[in-house]
Amino acid sequence: MFSSIKTRVILFYVAVLFMILPVLGVFLDLSLGKIIYSSIDSSLLSRAKALATLVSNENGETQFAFSDEIMWEYNSFKAKNFFQIRYLDGTTVEKSRSLRNLELSFPTGENQINYQTIQLNGVPTRLVSFRFMNYGDDDHEEKVPVVRRKAYGLIIQCAVDIQEQVTLLKNYRLILSLFIFSIMIISASGGFFIARKALSPIKKISDTIKGISESNLSARITIRNVPKELRELAASFNHTFARLEKSFKRQKQFVADASHELRTPLSVILSHSEIMLRKERSAEEYKNAFTAIEEATGLMSEIVGKLLTLARLGTDKIELKMVPINLNEVIRQAVKVVTPLATQKGININVPVNEQRVILGDRAALLELFVNVLDNAIKYNVPHGKIDIAIKKERSFIVIKIKDTGIGIPEKDLDRVFDRFYRVDKSRSKKIGGVGLGLSICDEIVKLHGGRIEIESKRGVGTTVHSYLKRQGYVTRS
Amino acid sequence: MRILIVEDEKSLAEAIKKGLEEEDYAVDVAYNGEDGLFMAENEPSDLIILDIMLPIIDGMTILKKIRKAGFKTPVLMLTAKDAITDKVSGLDSGADDYLTKPFHFEELLARIRVLLRRDSEVKTCAIQIGDLLIDMASHEVKRGGKEILLSAREYALLELLAINRDKVLSRTYISEHIYDYDFDLDSNVIDVFVNRIRNKIDRGSETKLIHTVRGAGYMLKG
Repeated sequence: MFSSIKTRVILFYVAVLFMILPVLGVFLDLSLGKIIYSSIDSSLLSRAKALATLVSNENGETQFAFSDEIMWEYNSFKAKNFFQIRYLDGTTVEKSRSLRNLELSFPTGENQINYQTIQLNGVPTRLVSFRFMNYGDDDHEEKVPVVRRKAYGLIIQCAVDIQEQVTLLKNYRLILSLFIFSIMIISASGGFFIARKALSPIKKISDTIKGISESNLSARITIRNVPKELRELAASFNHTFARLEKSFKRQKQFVADASHELRTPLSVILSHSEIMLRKERSAEEYKNAFTAIEEATGLMSEIVGKLLTLARLGTDKIELKMVPINLNEVIRQAVKVVTPLATQKGININVPVNEQRVILGDRAALLELFVNVLDNAIKYNVPHGKIDIAIKKERSFIVIKIKDTGIGIPEKDLDRVFDRFYRVDKSRSKKIGGVGLGLSICDEIVKLHGGRIEIESKRGVGTTVHSYLKRQGYVTRS
Repeated sequence: MRILIVEDEKSLAEAIKKGLEEEDYAVDVAYNGEDGLFMAENEPSDLIILDIMLPIIDGMTILKKIRKAGFKTPVLMLTAKDAITDKVSGLDSGADDYLTKPFHFEELLARIRVLLRRDSEVKTCAIQIGDLLIDMASHEVKRGGKEILLSAREYALLELLAINRDKVLSRTYISEHIYDYDFDLDSNVIDVFVNRIRNKIDRGSETKLIHTVRGAGYMLKG
């Protein structure tokens, strides 16, 4: 499940949301709290300062000039405002009637202004304690000299019931949490939807690919309908399928051709045997039939052998033993193999005697290559013709040129001579032999040696086969 | 009946020729498309066995050419291609039947018999004319329940007359359809053969089946 891109995108998105939104909530909550508390605090402080102006020092005696207007908001038992005036040692000098028998908590520390939130009779209350030196009023300056005045410290504490604000903040926090929670849910589902929408082209591509099967390799992804980001992916899929299709077609054609080639000798064998078995025959008749069957069998086994060679060369698993090979030596061996056939037709083969050429290659494969090319050069040569072999260096290749004085290949057929089972002239091939696989095999062999094969030919003049083999250090595709 | 085989695989063509001759058919063989086309157009054949992959001119082209020229000779395509499309294009080009290599000789014989009697009145492999019964599969001939032994050539002549019952066949037509191309023609030979089968079939019977039409030829009529 976590391997799906969609799930990952959503999870990542939700994780980010879950990190950001609660932080935002906490920030909003704290800042509102701060605003509310600072406004309460400043109003309490100004109340305390106001009270301080009403306190006077009557020769060491604390005097209050509290008017009813001022006391009005402190004096009712139900009033939400409180004050308490103390000496520094905590002894209460005066307190508002609203406090009844309660005490505001005494501030710790020596700060001039001290803020606290306390529980007063179980009710949340904000308390500001203001500390000041009571020098008394200016009015008394004349009567009592300053030096004689007895100054002492007073603490004026003002408090207010903040139950309402606390409840407000609590509600605010609840609403904020709910709000943030619902935003997260909505965003997550939105993210899910967006992810699905964004990934739908991929789903479409994958559906197309699902529809492409062995039997229907021609289906393609329509690039034009694919979003820009996925075009490259779609294009490479198309490219791969095109290659697969081509290779499948080739393989299918090959199998069809192979079965076609095997059918003719098979029908020779079947017809001869069936006709022979219809009644008693003379020894002569049997002999003729067996000769025909033997020939057909020979052709079939040649086809099967060559097919196996091709199949072996065509697989990636082929293990070529790449060792340094002296090309002159391999060519001499190949010439030795075809000499009986050449002698029969009176054909002269000229082997090069120039300097030694060494490449990395597989001896058996190279021998097969040269024997095949020489075999063609003899079969399609004129009687008493000749074959010239030359080896030369050309850039990173060693080129082996095998030139005959044969009948040549018509230009229109030159492209097709490497096709499996292709024969230029079927009736002539039948006389000469051969199944049309030799050059396909040669083609595979030079490819395995990192090279290529080229044919140049002129009718009635002859054919030259150039085999390009990579000079050195060539590593096979396996 | 005379059959033309156009097949480039010599050994196969010869085997079929031998087998067919043993079935009392007259057989001509062409080993390439050019000869095949010439023989199809110039030699009278009752059936053509035609390979598709042929040197010089391929079988499909031969088929189209002879059909265009108006020849109605039944054609049996013989080929190593067994793809449905090849069969369809063969039949569309005017082939009457199709046999894929490798084939059983007995099947080839059966298909040939079907094609040969296709245009005649005869639809089964036995022909009954009066009390004369000819089994074309086993080549058995009976008159009034009594078996009559005929040589291969005699049987071929009788079968030709039977398939074309009630029609007058000229001496040339007969010789062209029971002898192949390599046979040296002498129209007297036909008279000799007709006399021989007349002796074997009509002698001792009330009703004569083989009739001579003066100046025209012979006819088998019940």
